[in-house]
Amino acid sequence: MTTSNDPYYIDFPARIRNIQARMAQENIDVYLGSRLRTLSWTLDAFCPWRSFVVIPAEGLPTAFTFVIDAARVADDSWLDEDHVLGFVPMGGQDQIELIVDFIKDLLPGGKGRVGIESGMSNYLPEGNLTHYEYERYSEALPGCELVNAHTIVDALATIKDEGTVNRFREASRIVDIGHQAVRDALQNGGWKGMTETEIAGLAAYAMRKAGSEWEWSFTGGNEIASGYRTGLVGGACTPASRRELQAGEPLMIDIHAMFKLGLGDHSHNYLIGPVTDRQWWHANNFVDIVKLTLENYRAGTSPADLAEKMIGFADERGFSDYMVPGFEHGIGMMGDEWRIGLNDGPFPYWTNPEHVYQAGELLICAMQYACPEEDIGFRYENPIVLYEDRCEPLSLFPLSIDEIN
Amino acid sequence: MTEQIQYLTPAWRDEAEKRLKSELSPERMNFITSSMSNIYLDCPDGGTRYLFFRFEKGEFADLLLGEGEPPTAEFKVSGKYDTFAKISRAELGSQRALMTGKLKLKGNMVKALKLASIADRLNKVLSTIPAEY
Repeated sequence: MTTSNDPYYIDFPARIRNIQARMAQENIDVYLGSRLRTLSWTLDAFCPWRSFVVIPAEGLPTAFTFVIDAARVADDSWLDEDHVLGFVPMGGQDQIELIVDFIKDLLPGGKGRVGIESGMSNYLPEGNLTHYEYERYSEALPGCELVNAHTIVDALATIKDEGTVNRFREASRIVDIGHQAVRDALQNGGWKGMTETEIAGLAAYAMRKAGSEWEWSFTGGNEIASGYRTGLVGGACTPASRRELQAGEPLMIDIHAMFKLGLGDHSHNYLIGPVTDRQWWHANNFVDIVKLTLENYRAGTSPADLAEKMIGFADERGFSDYMVPGFEHGIGMMGDEWRIGLNDGPFPYWTNPEHVYQAGELLICAMQYACPEEDIGFRYENPIVLYEDRCEPLSLFPLSIDEIN
Repeated sequence: MTEQIQYLTPAWRDEAEKRLKSELSPERMNFITSSMSNIYLDCPDGGTRYLFFRFEKGEFADLLLGEGEPPTAEFKVSGKYDTFAKISRAELGSQRALMTGKLKLKGNMVKALKLASIADRLNKVLSTIPAEY
Protein backbone atom coordinates (compact mmCIF):
# COMPACT_ATOMS: atom_id res chain seq x y z
CA MET A 1 0.00 0.00 0.00
CA THR A 2 1.40 3.40 -0.95
CA THR A 3 0.65 6.73 0.74
CA SER A 4 -0.50 9.93 -0.93
CA ASN A 5 2.98 11.50 -0.93
CA ASP A 6 4.44 8.44 -2.68
CA PRO A 7 5.11 9.09 -6.41
CA TYR A 8 3.43 5.77 -7.19
CA TYR A 9 0.33 6.47 -5.13
CA ILE A 10 -2.99 5.76 -6.79
CA ASP A 11 -6.25 6.69 -5.09
CA PHE A 12 -7.97 3.31 -5.37
CA PRO A 13 -10.92 4.21 -3.11
CA ALA A 14 -11.61 7.13 -5.49
CA ARG A 15 -11.50 4.76 -8.47
CA ILE A 16 -14.13 2.59 -6.77
CA ARG A 17 -16.30 5.62 -6.00
CA ASN A 18 -16.05 6.69 -9.65
CA ILE A 19 -17.16 3.23 -10.77
CA GLN A 20 -20.05 3.35 -8.30
CA ALA A 21 -21.15 6.76 -9.61
CA ARG A 22 -21.27 5.36 -13.16
CA MET A 23 -23.07 2.26 -11.91
CA ALA A 24 -25.73 4.52 -10.41
CA GLN A 25 -26.11 6.36 -13.74
CA GLU A 26 -26.63 3.05 -15.51
CA ASN A 27 -28.89 1.55 -12.81
CA ILE A 28 -26.38 -1.18 -12.03
CA ASP A 29 -26.63 -2.54 -8.50
CA VAL A 30 -23.53 -4.73 -8.46
CA TYR A 31 -20.52 -4.84 -10.79
CA LEU A 32 -18.95 -8.26 -11.34
CA GLY A 33 -15.51 -7.62 -12.84
CA SER A 34 -13.56 -10.53 -14.29
CA ARG A 35 -11.04 -9.00 -16.70
CA LEU A 36 -7.41 -8.91 -15.68
CA ARG A 37 -7.30 -5.18 -16.50
CA THR A 38 -10.24 -4.51 -14.17
CA LEU A 39 -8.69 -6.55 -11.37
CA SER A 40 -5.36 -4.68 -11.62
CA TRP A 41 -7.10 -1.32 -11.92
CA THR A 42 -9.33 -1.82 -8.90
CA LEU A 43 -7.26 -4.02 -6.58
CA ASP A 44 -3.63 -2.96 -7.14
CA ALA A 45 -2.63 -6.62 -7.15
CA PHE A 46 -1.65 -9.04 -9.89
CA CYS A 47 -4.24 -11.82 -10.18
CA PRO A 48 -2.78 -14.65 -12.29
CA TRP A 49 -5.58 -17.11 -11.40
CA ARG A 50 -9.20 -16.77 -12.44
CA SER A 51 -10.42 -13.94 -10.25
CA PHE A 52 -13.39 -11.65 -9.83
CA VAL A 53 -14.11 -8.36 -8.13
CA VAL A 54 -17.57 -7.60 -6.83
CA ILE A 55 -18.27 -3.88 -6.48
CA PRO A 56 -21.40 -3.00 -4.53
CA ALA A 57 -23.40 0.20 -5.02
CA GLU A 58 -21.62 1.66 -2.00
CA GLY A 59 -18.62 0.69 0.09
CA LEU A 60 -15.56 -1.42 -0.54
CA PRO A 61 -15.19 -3.99 -3.29
CA THR A 62 -14.45 -7.63 -2.53
CA ALA A 63 -12.08 -9.72 -4.60
CA PHE A 64 -12.41 -13.45 -5.17
CA THR A 65 -9.52 -15.59 -6.32
CA PHE A 66 -8.24 -19.14 -6.06
CA VAL A 67 -7.62 -19.79 -2.38
CA ILE A 68 -3.95 -20.68 -2.88
CA ASP A 69 -3.29 -17.08 -3.88
CA ALA A 70 -5.89 -15.15 -1.89
CA ALA A 71 -3.66 -14.32 1.09
CA ARG A 72 -0.95 -13.01 -1.24
CA VAL A 73 -3.42 -10.91 -3.24
CA ALA A 74 -4.75 -9.45 0.04
CA ASP A 75 -1.17 -8.72 1.11
CA ASP A 76 -0.39 -6.89 -2.16
CA SER A 77 -3.74 -5.13 -2.47
CA TRP A 78 -5.03 -2.05 -0.67
CA LEU A 79 -7.91 -4.21 0.54
CA ASP A 80 -7.80 -6.13 3.82
CA GLU A 81 -8.16 -9.91 4.14
CA ASP A 82 -11.91 -9.62 4.76
CA HIS A 83 -12.24 -8.16 1.26
CA VAL A 84 -10.16 -10.75 -0.58
CA LEU A 85 -11.82 -14.15 -0.42
CA GLY A 86 -10.51 -17.45 -1.69
CA PHE A 87 -12.55 -20.01 -3.55
CA VAL A 88 -12.05 -23.78 -3.57
CA PRO A 89 -13.96 -26.79 -4.83
CA MET A 90 -15.83 -27.30 -1.56
CA GLY A 91 -19.47 -27.00 -0.58
CA GLY A 92 -20.45 -23.33 -0.61
CA GLN A 93 -16.94 -22.26 -1.58
CA ASP A 94 -16.66 -22.77 -5.34
CA GLN A 95 -16.43 -19.56 -7.31
CA ILE A 96 -20.01 -19.58 -8.60
CA GLU A 97 -21.74 -20.40 -5.31
CA LEU A 98 -19.49 -18.18 -3.19
CA ILE A 99 -19.94 -15.15 -5.45
CA VAL A 100 -23.65 -15.75 -5.99
CA ASP A 101 -24.23 -15.93 -2.21
CA PHE A 102 -22.20 -12.75 -1.81
CA ILE A 103 -24.15 -10.90 -4.52
CA LYS A 104 -27.49 -12.08 -3.12
CA ASP A 105 -26.54 -10.64 0.27
CA LEU A 106 -25.95 -7.27 -1.44
CA LEU A 107 -29.28 -7.20 -3.26
CA PRO A 108 -32.56 -6.75 -1.43
CA GLY A 109 -34.69 -9.77 -2.25
CA GLY A 110 -31.89 -11.07 -4.46
CA LYS A 111 -33.09 -8.84 -7.31
CA GLY A 112 -31.22 -6.25 -9.34
CA ARG A 113 -29.00 -5.46 -12.31
CA VAL A 114 -25.56 -7.02 -12.29
CA GLY A 115 -22.88 -5.52 -14.52
CA ILE A 116 -20.63 -8.13 -16.10
CA GLU A 117 -17.67 -8.01 -18.48
CA SER A 118 -18.29 -9.70 -21.81
CA GLY A 119 -16.68 -9.30 -25.21
CA MET A 120 -13.64 -10.54 -27.09
CA SER A 121 -10.00 -9.66 -27.35
CA ASN A 122 -6.84 -10.51 -29.23
CA TYR A 123 -5.21 -10.59 -25.82
CA LEU A 124 -5.67 -14.15 -24.56
CA PRO A 125 -5.72 -13.47 -20.80
CA GLU A 126 -8.34 -10.70 -21.16
CA GLY A 127 -10.67 -12.47 -18.73
CA ASN A 128 -14.13 -11.78 -20.14
CA LEU A 129 -16.86 -13.80 -18.48
CA THR A 130 -17.00 -17.16 -20.23
CA HIS A 131 -20.17 -18.56 -21.73
CA TYR A 132 -20.21 -21.24 -19.03
CA GLU A 133 -19.79 -18.70 -16.23
CA TYR A 134 -22.50 -16.49 -17.72
CA GLU A 135 -24.95 -19.41 -17.80
CA ARG A 136 -24.16 -20.46 -14.23
CA TYR A 137 -24.48 -16.92 -12.83
CA SER A 138 -27.72 -16.40 -14.77
CA GLU A 139 -29.19 -19.62 -13.37
CA ALA A 140 -28.09 -18.92 -9.82
CA LEU A 141 -29.31 -15.31 -9.85
CA PRO A 142 -32.81 -15.74 -11.23
CA GLY A 143 -33.95 -12.36 -9.93
CA CYS A 144 -31.11 -10.52 -11.64
CA GLU A 145 -30.51 -9.08 -15.06
CA LEU A 146 -26.92 -9.51 -16.23
CA VAL A 147 -25.82 -6.60 -18.42
CA ASN A 148 -22.52 -5.98 -20.16
CA ALA A 149 -20.90 -3.04 -18.35
CA HIS A 150 -17.15 -3.11 -19.09
CA THR A 151 -17.36 0.34 -20.70
CA ILE A 152 -17.60 1.79 -17.18
CA VAL A 153 -14.07 0.67 -16.36
CA ASP A 154 -12.73 1.26 -19.87
CA ALA A 155 -13.89 4.88 -19.86
CA LEU A 156 -12.49 5.60 -16.41
CA ALA A 157 -9.14 3.94 -17.17
CA THR A 158 -8.46 5.80 -20.42
CA ILE A 159 -6.76 8.84 -18.92
CA LYS A 160 -3.87 7.83 -16.68
CA ASP A 161 -3.31 9.47 -13.30
CA GLU A 162 0.09 10.63 -12.11
CA GLY A 163 0.79 7.55 -9.96
CA THR A 164 0.08 5.24 -12.90
CA VAL A 165 2.33 7.23 -15.25
CA ASN A 166 5.09 7.23 -12.64
CA ARG A 167 4.85 3.46 -12.32
CA PHE A 168 5.24 3.20 -16.11
CA ARG A 169 8.15 5.63 -15.96
CA GLU A 170 9.92 3.47 -13.40
CA ALA A 171 9.19 0.27 -15.36
CA SER A 172 10.67 1.99 -18.43
CA ARG A 173 13.77 3.06 -16.49
CA ILE A 174 14.22 -0.59 -15.52
CA VAL A 175 13.80 -1.68 -19.15
CA ASP A 176 16.58 0.75 -20.09
CA ILE A 177 18.82 -1.00 -17.55
CA GLY A 178 17.98 -4.29 -19.29
CA HIS A 179 18.89 -2.83 -22.66
CA GLN A 180 22.19 -1.54 -21.33
CA ALA A 181 23.00 -5.01 -19.93
CA VAL A 182 22.25 -6.58 -23.32
CA ARG A 183 24.38 -4.01 -25.15
CA ASP A 184 27.29 -4.57 -22.73
CA ALA A 185 27.05 -8.33 -23.20
CA LEU A 186 26.92 -8.15 -27.00
CA GLN A 187 29.88 -5.81 -27.47
CA ASN A 188 33.48 -6.78 -28.18
CA GLY A 189 32.55 -10.15 -29.65
CA GLY A 190 30.36 -11.07 -26.70
CA TRP A 191 27.51 -11.94 -29.08
CA LYS A 192 29.43 -14.92 -30.51
CA GLY A 193 27.79 -18.20 -29.52
CA MET A 194 24.94 -16.40 -27.79
CA THR A 195 21.35 -17.55 -28.32
CA GLU A 196 18.12 -15.57 -28.31
CA THR A 197 16.94 -17.28 -25.10
CA GLU A 198 20.24 -16.39 -23.42
CA ILE A 199 19.77 -12.71 -24.29
CA ALA A 200 16.20 -12.85 -22.97
CA GLY A 201 17.55 -14.27 -19.73
CA LEU A 202 20.37 -11.80 -19.22
CA ALA A 203 18.00 -8.88 -19.83
CA ALA A 204 15.58 -10.41 -17.35
CA TYR A 205 18.32 -10.81 -14.76
CA ALA A 206 19.43 -7.20 -15.08
CA MET A 207 15.85 -5.94 -14.87
CA ARG A 208 14.99 -8.16 -11.91
CA LYS A 209 18.09 -6.87 -10.12
CA ALA A 210 16.74 -3.39 -10.74
CA GLY A 211 13.36 -4.29 -9.23
CA SER A 212 11.23 -5.60 -12.08
CA GLU A 213 8.54 -8.00 -10.93
CA TRP A 214 8.47 -10.00 -14.18
CA GLU A 215 8.84 -9.86 -17.94
CA TRP A 216 5.06 -9.49 -18.08
CA SER A 217 4.32 -9.89 -21.78
CA PHE A 218 2.21 -12.93 -22.66
CA THR A 219 4.13 -13.07 -25.95
CA GLY A 220 6.88 -15.05 -24.25
CA GLY A 221 8.34 -12.53 -21.82
CA ASN A 222 11.33 -10.90 -23.45
CA GLU A 223 11.00 -11.18 -27.22
CA ILE A 224 14.26 -11.67 -29.05
CA ALA A 225 14.62 -12.27 -32.78
CA SER A 226 17.71 -12.68 -34.91
CA GLY A 227 18.35 -13.16 -38.62
CA TYR A 228 15.34 -14.18 -40.70
CA ARG A 229 13.11 -14.12 -37.61
CA THR A 230 13.33 -10.32 -37.51
CA GLY A 231 11.76 -10.15 -40.98
CA LEU A 232 8.85 -12.54 -40.68
CA VAL A 233 5.85 -11.09 -42.53
CA GLY A 234 3.95 -8.77 -40.21
CA GLY A 235 6.01 -10.38 -37.48
CA ALA A 236 5.36 -8.37 -34.35
CA CYS A 237 5.56 -11.30 -31.96
CA THR A 238 8.82 -13.11 -31.44
CA PRO A 239 9.20 -15.24 -28.30
CA ALA A 240 12.93 -15.96 -27.97
CA SER A 241 14.11 -19.15 -29.68
CA ARG A 242 17.26 -21.24 -29.26
CA ARG A 243 18.66 -19.71 -32.44
CA GLU A 244 22.33 -18.71 -32.21
CA LEU A 245 23.36 -15.21 -33.36
CA GLN A 246 25.24 -15.04 -36.66
CA ALA A 247 27.52 -12.44 -38.23
CA GLY A 248 25.88 -10.19 -40.81
CA GLU A 249 22.38 -10.52 -39.33
CA PRO A 250 19.92 -8.15 -37.68
CA LEU A 251 18.98 -8.59 -34.02
CA MET A 252 15.81 -7.32 -32.35
CA ILE A 253 15.61 -6.93 -28.57
CA ASP A 254 12.09 -6.31 -27.23
CA ILE A 255 12.08 -6.49 -23.45
CA HIS A 256 9.51 -6.02 -20.72
CA ALA A 257 9.57 -5.06 -17.06
CA MET A 258 6.81 -4.57 -14.53
CA PHE A 259 6.80 -2.16 -11.61
CA LYS A 260 3.71 -2.07 -9.37
CA LEU A 261 1.59 -3.24 -12.32
CA GLY A 262 3.03 -0.45 -14.49
CA LEU A 263 4.55 -1.89 -17.66
CA GLY A 264 7.84 -1.21 -19.40
CA ASP A 265 8.05 -2.30 -23.04
CA HIS A 266 10.85 -1.14 -25.29
CA SER A 267 12.54 -2.55 -28.38
CA HIS A 268 16.02 -1.79 -29.60
CA ASN A 269 17.65 -3.13 -32.75
CA TYR A 270 21.16 -4.11 -33.79
CA LEU A 271 23.02 -5.14 -36.90
CA ILE A 272 25.77 -7.66 -36.32
CA GLY A 273 28.71 -6.81 -38.55
CA PRO A 274 29.71 -6.90 -41.28
CA VAL A 275 26.78 -4.68 -42.30
CA THR A 276 25.90 -4.13 -45.96
CA ASP A 277 24.78 -0.81 -47.45
CA ARG A 278 21.40 -2.34 -48.15
CA GLN A 279 20.99 -3.28 -44.48
CA TRP A 280 21.87 0.30 -43.52
CA TRP A 281 19.28 1.56 -46.00
CA HIS A 282 16.61 -0.49 -44.22
CA ALA A 283 17.91 0.59 -40.81
CA ASN A 284 17.89 4.30 -41.66
CA ASN A 285 14.39 4.04 -43.08
CA PHE A 286 13.22 2.57 -39.84
CA VAL A 287 14.92 5.06 -37.52
CA ASP A 288 13.61 7.97 -39.60
CA ILE A 289 10.01 6.79 -39.58
CA VAL A 290 10.11 6.17 -35.82
CA LYS A 291 11.46 9.69 -35.24
CA LEU A 292 8.75 11.16 -37.44
CA THR A 293 6.03 9.14 -35.74
CA LEU A 294 7.13 10.30 -32.29
CA GLU A 295 7.13 13.89 -33.52
CA ASN A 296 3.54 13.49 -34.68
CA TYR A 297 2.01 11.81 -31.64
CA ARG A 298 -0.09 14.26 -29.61
CA ALA A 299 -3.61 14.88 -28.41
CA GLY A 300 -6.07 15.54 -31.23
CA THR A 301 -4.60 13.09 -33.71
CA SER A 302 -6.00 9.61 -34.35
CA PRO A 303 -4.54 6.21 -35.29
CA ALA A 304 -5.91 6.64 -38.84
CA ASP A 305 -4.40 10.16 -39.24
CA LEU A 306 -1.06 8.94 -38.05
CA ALA A 307 -1.03 5.80 -40.21
CA GLU A 308 -1.88 7.87 -43.28
CA LYS A 309 0.98 10.29 -42.65
CA MET A 310 3.53 7.62 -41.87
CA ILE A 311 2.63 5.32 -44.75
CA GLY A 312 2.80 8.43 -46.98
CA PHE A 313 6.33 9.07 -45.76
CA ALA A 314 7.32 5.42 -46.24
CA ASP A 315 5.87 5.51 -49.75
CA GLU A 316 7.90 8.59 -50.66
CA ARG A 317 11.05 6.89 -49.46
CA GLY A 318 10.16 3.59 -51.16
CA PHE A 319 9.84 1.32 -48.16
CA SER A 320 6.05 1.23 -47.55
CA ASP A 321 6.01 -2.44 -48.58
CA TYR A 322 7.97 -3.21 -45.44
CA MET A 323 5.91 -1.29 -42.89
CA VAL A 324 3.22 -3.04 -40.91
CA PRO A 325 0.44 -0.42 -41.12
CA GLY A 326 -0.23 -0.04 -37.39
CA PHE A 327 1.66 2.25 -35.10
CA GLU A 328 0.36 1.64 -31.61
CA HIS A 329 -1.39 -0.64 -29.17
CA GLY A 330 -3.23 0.08 -25.98
CA ILE A 331 -1.65 -0.23 -22.57
CA GLY A 332 -2.67 0.18 -18.97
CA MET A 333 -2.04 -1.53 -15.69
CA MET A 334 -1.24 -5.26 -16.06
CA GLY A 335 -3.85 -7.00 -18.22
CA ASP A 336 -4.76 -3.92 -20.25
CA GLU A 337 -2.76 -4.53 -23.38
CA TRP A 338 -4.85 -4.35 -26.44
CA ARG A 339 -7.54 -1.99 -27.61
CA ILE A 340 -7.08 1.78 -27.34
CA GLY A 341 -10.05 3.70 -25.94
CA LEU A 342 -13.60 2.41 -25.99
CA ASN A 343 -15.24 -0.35 -27.97
CA ASP A 344 -16.69 2.12 -30.48
CA GLY A 345 -14.93 1.33 -33.74
CA PRO A 346 -16.17 -0.23 -36.98
CA PHE A 347 -14.86 -3.65 -35.93
CA PRO A 348 -16.01 -4.71 -32.46
CA TYR A 349 -13.29 -4.93 -29.84
CA TRP A 350 -10.57 -3.53 -32.10
CA THR A 351 -9.17 -0.03 -31.74
CA ASN A 352 -11.34 2.57 -33.41
CA PRO A 353 -9.04 4.05 -36.10
CA GLU A 354 -10.87 7.36 -35.66
CA HIS A 355 -10.26 7.46 -31.89
CA VAL A 356 -9.17 11.01 -31.11
CA TYR A 357 -6.34 10.97 -28.60
CA GLN A 358 -6.64 13.09 -25.48
CA ALA A 359 -3.94 14.53 -23.27
CA GLY A 360 -3.17 12.08 -20.47
CA GLU A 361 -3.61 8.94 -22.55
CA LEU A 362 -0.81 6.40 -22.44
CA LEU A 363 -0.19 3.95 -25.25
CA ILE A 364 2.58 1.90 -26.74
CA CYS A 365 4.03 3.38 -29.88
CA ALA A 366 4.58 0.09 -31.71
CA MET A 367 6.12 -0.11 -35.16
CA GLN A 368 7.25 -3.09 -37.15
CA TYR A 369 9.39 -3.14 -40.28
CA ALA A 370 9.71 -6.47 -42.04
CA CYS A 371 11.42 -7.42 -45.27
CA PRO A 372 11.17 -11.21 -45.43
CA GLU A 373 12.87 -11.56 -48.80
CA GLU A 374 16.03 -10.04 -47.32
CA ASP A 375 15.71 -11.63 -43.88
CA ILE A 376 15.69 -8.27 -42.15
CA GLY A 377 13.29 -6.44 -39.86
CA PHE A 378 13.14 -4.05 -36.93
CA ARG A 379 10.71 -3.24 -34.13
CA TYR A 380 10.10 -0.17 -32.06
CA GLU A 381 7.99 -0.17 -28.93
CA ASN A 382 7.88 2.43 -26.22
CA PRO A 383 5.17 3.60 -23.81
CA ILE A 384 4.35 7.21 -24.61
CA VAL A 385 2.29 9.74 -22.66
CA LEU A 386 0.27 12.13 -24.81
CA TYR A 387 0.13 15.86 -24.19
CA GLU A 388 -1.62 18.62 -26.13
CA ASP A 389 1.41 19.36 -28.29
CA ARG A 390 3.75 16.38 -28.02
CA CYS A 391 4.34 12.93 -26.60
CA GLU A 392 6.74 11.79 -23.93
CA PRO A 393 8.51 8.48 -24.66
CA LEU A 394 9.06 6.84 -21.27
CA SER A 395 11.98 4.61 -22.21
CA LEU A 396 15.00 6.84 -22.72
CA PHE A 397 17.35 4.32 -24.35
CA PRO A 398 18.72 6.20 -27.38
CA LEU A 399 16.84 5.62 -30.61
CA SER A 400 19.29 4.11 -33.08
CA ILE A 401 20.21 0.88 -34.79
CA ASP A 402 23.64 -0.07 -33.54
CA GLU A 403 26.30 -2.04 -35.33
CA ILE A 404 27.98 -4.74 -33.26
CA ASN A 405 31.34 -6.08 -34.28
CA MET B 1 -21.43 -50.75 29.38
CA THR B 2 -21.06 -46.98 28.80
CA GLU B 3 -24.32 -45.05 28.87
CA GLN B 4 -25.34 -43.80 25.43
CA ILE B 5 -26.49 -40.20 25.10
CA GLN B 6 -28.95 -39.16 22.40
CA TYR B 7 -27.07 -37.07 19.81
CA LEU B 8 -27.91 -33.35 19.69
CA THR B 9 -29.93 -33.31 22.90
CA PRO B 10 -29.30 -30.99 25.88
CA ALA B 11 -27.60 -33.90 27.65
CA TRP B 12 -25.28 -34.45 24.66
CA ARG B 13 -24.53 -30.69 24.56
CA ASP B 14 -23.62 -30.74 28.28
CA GLU B 15 -21.31 -33.69 27.77
CA ALA B 16 -19.76 -32.02 24.71
CA GLU B 17 -19.11 -28.82 26.67
CA LYS B 18 -17.51 -30.77 29.53
CA ARG B 19 -15.20 -32.66 27.17
CA LEU B 20 -14.28 -29.65 25.05
CA LYS B 21 -13.38 -27.62 28.14
CA SER B 22 -11.27 -30.37 29.64
CA GLU B 23 -9.56 -31.64 26.50
CA LEU B 24 -8.95 -28.51 24.42
CA SER B 25 -6.63 -26.09 26.17
CA PRO B 26 -6.11 -22.55 24.79
CA GLU B 27 -2.70 -23.76 23.55
CA ARG B 28 -4.33 -26.68 21.68
CA MET B 29 -6.78 -24.16 20.22
CA ASN B 30 -3.91 -21.90 19.09
CA PHE B 31 -5.44 -19.09 21.20
CA ILE B 32 -8.01 -18.44 18.47
CA THR B 33 -10.99 -16.12 18.73
CA SER B 34 -13.65 -17.40 16.40
CA SER B 35 -17.15 -18.78 16.17
CA MET B 36 -18.91 -21.38 14.08
CA SER B 37 -22.48 -22.52 13.63
CA ASN B 38 -23.24 -26.03 12.47
CA ILE B 39 -26.67 -26.20 10.87
CA TYR B 40 -28.20 -29.68 10.98
CA LEU B 41 -30.77 -30.13 8.22
CA ASP B 42 -33.24 -33.04 8.03
CA CYS B 43 -32.98 -34.04 11.69
CA PRO B 44 -34.80 -37.30 12.60
CA ASP B 45 -37.85 -35.27 13.67
CA GLY B 46 -37.78 -33.46 10.33
CA GLY B 47 -36.59 -30.18 11.84
CA THR B 48 -33.43 -28.10 11.69
CA ARG B 49 -31.06 -27.52 14.60
CA TYR B 50 -27.91 -25.58 15.15
CA LEU B 51 -24.87 -26.04 17.32
CA PHE B 52 -22.96 -22.83 17.92
CA PHE B 53 -19.35 -22.82 19.14
CA ARG B 54 -17.43 -19.77 20.28
CA PHE B 55 -13.82 -19.49 21.42
CA GLU B 56 -12.18 -16.44 22.97
CA LYS B 57 -8.37 -16.43 22.79
CA GLY B 58 -8.47 -20.20 22.73
CA GLU B 59 -10.77 -20.45 25.77
CA PHE B 60 -13.96 -22.34 25.16
CA ALA B 61 -16.68 -19.66 25.65
CA ASP B 62 -20.03 -20.92 24.35
CA LEU B 63 -21.71 -24.04 23.10
CA LEU B 64 -25.34 -23.40 22.24
CA LEU B 65 -27.82 -25.92 20.89
CA GLY B 66 -31.08 -24.65 19.47
CA GLU B 67 -33.65 -24.45 16.72
CA GLY B 68 -34.32 -21.62 14.28
CA GLU B 69 -31.85 -18.90 13.35
CA PRO B 70 -28.41 -19.43 14.95
CA PRO B 71 -26.39 -16.57 16.47
CA THR B 72 -24.14 -14.76 13.97
CA ALA B 73 -20.90 -16.67 13.56
CA GLU B 74 -17.68 -16.21 11.61
CA PHE B 75 -18.30 -19.54 9.89
CA LYS B 76 -21.51 -21.34 9.09
CA VAL B 77 -21.37 -25.02 8.14
CA SER B 78 -24.60 -26.56 6.95
CA GLY B 79 -25.44 -30.12 6.00
CA LYS B 80 -27.72 -33.01 6.68
CA TYR B 81 -28.02 -34.46 10.18
CA ASP B 82 -26.76 -37.80 8.83
CA THR B 83 -23.60 -36.17 7.48
CA PHE B 84 -22.79 -34.55 10.82
CA ALA B 85 -23.62 -37.82 12.59
CA LYS B 86 -21.12 -39.66 10.37
CA ILE B 87 -18.47 -37.04 11.18
CA SER B 88 -19.21 -37.38 14.90
CA ARG B 89 -18.90 -41.16 14.64
CA ALA B 90 -15.57 -40.62 12.86
CA GLU B 91 -16.94 -42.41 9.78
CA LEU B 92 -16.44 -39.35 7.57
CA GLY B 93 -13.80 -36.61 7.67
CA SER B 94 -15.12 -33.06 7.72
CA GLN B 95 -12.76 -32.04 4.92
CA ARG B 96 -13.97 -34.89 2.72
CA ALA B 97 -17.56 -33.87 3.49
CA LEU B 98 -16.76 -30.32 2.35
CA MET B 99 -14.85 -31.45 -0.74
CA THR B 100 -17.69 -33.68 -1.87
CA GLY B 101 -20.28 -30.99 -1.27
CA LYS B 102 -22.01 -32.86 1.59
CA LEU B 103 -21.29 -29.87 3.82
CA LYS B 104 -21.52 -26.24 2.77
CA LEU B 105 -19.28 -23.63 4.37
CA LYS B 106 -20.05 -19.95 4.49
CA GLY B 107 -17.21 -17.68 5.58
CA ASN B 108 -13.73 -16.57 4.60
CA MET B 109 -11.99 -19.66 3.18
CA VAL B 110 -8.51 -18.25 3.75
CA LYS B 111 -9.28 -17.91 7.45
CA ALA B 112 -10.98 -21.31 7.42
CA LEU B 113 -7.77 -22.88 6.13
CA LYS B 114 -5.96 -21.61 9.21
CA LEU B 115 -8.62 -23.21 11.41
CA ALA B 116 -9.00 -26.53 9.59
CA SER B 117 -6.77 -28.49 11.96
CA ILE B 118 -8.49 -26.94 14.98
CA ALA B 119 -11.89 -27.97 13.62
CA ASP B 120 -10.52 -31.50 13.28
CA ARG B 121 -9.43 -31.46 16.94
CA LEU B 122 -12.86 -30.29 17.94
CA ASN B 123 -14.59 -33.00 15.92
CA LYS B 124 -12.27 -35.60 17.38
CA VAL B 125 -13.34 -34.68 20.90
CA LEU B 126 -17.02 -34.78 19.94
CA SER B 127 -16.56 -38.21 18.37
CA THR B 128 -15.54 -39.62 21.76
CA ILE B 129 -19.00 -38.99 23.23
CA PRO B 130 -20.89 -42.28 23.37
CA ALA B 131 -24.00 -41.33 21.48
CA GLU B 132 -27.11 -42.75 19.91
CA TYR B 133 -28.12 -41.28 16.59
